[in-house]
Amino acid sequence: MLADGLPLDVLIGAWVATGLTLFIYTFLYRDNPLFKLGEHLYVGISVGYSIVITVYAVGVKLLWIPMVEKGQWQLLIPALLGLMISARFFPRIAWLARISFAFVVGFGAGTIIPRLISSNVLSQLEDTISPLVTMTASGLTYTMDFLDPKSDINNFITLIGVVSVLFYFFFSVEHRGVGQAIARTGIMFLMIAFGAAFGYTVMSRMSLLIGRFDDLIMFSGAEYGRPTFVLLALTVVVLAYWVYREKQAFRSTVEEKS
Amino acid sequence: MKPSNHSIVSMMLTIDRRYIFVLIALATLIPLLNPINLPIVISPEVRAVYDHMESLPEGAVFLLSMDFDPASKPEVYPQAISLLRHAFKKNMKVIGMTLVVTGTGMAEEVIATVAEDMGKINGIDYTFLGWRPGASAVILSMGQDLAGTFPQDHYGTPIDELFVMEHVKTLRDVDYAVSLAAGFPGIDEWYIYGKDKYQFELGGGSTAVMAPGLYPRLRGGQINGLIGGLRGAAEYEKLLDQSGKAMAGMDAQSATHFVIIVLVILCNVFYAISRQQKRGWRRT
Repeated sequence: MLADGLPLDVLIGAWVATGLTLFIYTFLYRDNPLFKLGEHLYVGISVGYSIVITVYAVGVKLLWIPMVEKGQWQLLIPALLGLMISARFFPRIAWLARISFAFVVGFGAGTIIPRLISSNVLSQLEDTISPLVTMTASGLTYTMDFLDPKSDINNFITLIGVVSVLFYFFFSVEHRGVGQAIARTGIMFLMIAFGAAFGYTVMSRMSLLIGRFDDLIMFSGAEYGRPTFVLLALTVVVLAYWVYREKQAFRSTVEEKS
Repeated sequence: MKPSNHSIVSMMLTIDRRYIFVLIALATLIPLLNPINLPIVISPEVRAVYDHMESLPEGAVFLLSMDFDPASKPEVYPQAISLLRHAFKKNMKVIGMTLVVTGTGMAEEVIATVAEDMGKINGIDYTFLGWRPGASAVILSMGQDLAGTFPQDHYGTPIDELFVMEHVKTLRDVDYAVSLAAGFPGIDEWYIYGKDKYQFELGGGSTAVMAPGLYPRLRGGQINGLIGGLRGAAEYEKLLDQSGKAMAGMDAQSATHFVIIVLVILCNVFYAISRQQKRGWRRT
């Protein structure tokens, strides 16, 4: 029985979310029409939602209101530049799109290049070239704390990692003798990095699964009308019927051929 | 002698992957239904975000850019809840926004829900600016003129009329910004086009997939802390002493990781045995 307090939109949301989650997970059995339905709805709704928000946030809030209510007619220039991109769809005036793209590329390159050099090259380089020993008033010391990213031992490991990985991608010299040892060290660093990335990816995917299961458990409650159980049963029945129909169709095809 | 196709090794190496799916599903479901509350250890990168939030005075300006969409909700949404709860608890001025169009509704929902729970008023204690197109251009523009970039908040109220935005004219007036990201645009963009140019303190929260790529920025001090994935969210919940969805999911996370580790080991053992069997067969 449904609880009196739950609004209708929450109830509908719970049933739709449960149904679509189950439809998508049916892919784990095999590709099927229920999965395709969920997939197409996801793509369609995402695109539709993006268009509505974009039209409202840009077309209405940033363009229409400032122009009509505040008289900022200069906004017609960027609006025109934006519309000109659509000229690509009309071969006779397709050249107009190049003006907009030139503007986009010029603005992009002008802003991105100096910022990327500053942030991704210079700042990272500065961090990589760290002192390998610590100089204090009492003389030179060496910190061996592996848990402190700024310790001398970690600075040393970073240095070895950066140099060996860079050397591994340096193909002008044949990797033999000492060069081979350095390149292999580089491979080891790369493997550790790939392993860490894979571990985090597994963690991320499991988190998403936990999130969906969490919702399915929540929606199995009586206050929602137990959509998890109802829709799970329905999904299994539909899937079983679809498999039965497929097998029948396969059999009749084989019989026709023979 | 040729190894039998029906040997345990060959059976395990060609096992129907759907059995593995069932195993993972059970490893997730059982701990969610019967939690055993495994201990959660706080990592230095999550503590750094928490400590920085703690160090800020009442009334400090906290900008939370929720740069994720529903596809990443299980991981990043609990981070947003925890950070907002912390900021509201400390009576900070909270500015919410998003650079991801499909996350607009969810970002608005989380800030409005947490604010209501904490008794905060829109326009006075917090505001939600919504979404603007342009990603990096939006951040650059906010650094020069925030009101020009967002003339109105998400609900249509002019920025100039909001009490919470009274002394916030550019990004330089923000005491602490955190980007909760699930890809592009996200933490990288906030550092490259925001912090590096306009010099404000920046923290990050991300999906676990993104986290390894952000550690160089963390080590270099480009971001002062990082909340990585559901695990990071659980750590933050523990620091706040407020159990939420992230902490509830940690048992399941540990169980699935354990199953995957066992499967990886088993797979390698069976693969090694099968290679040895093939070598023996070739010799004979």
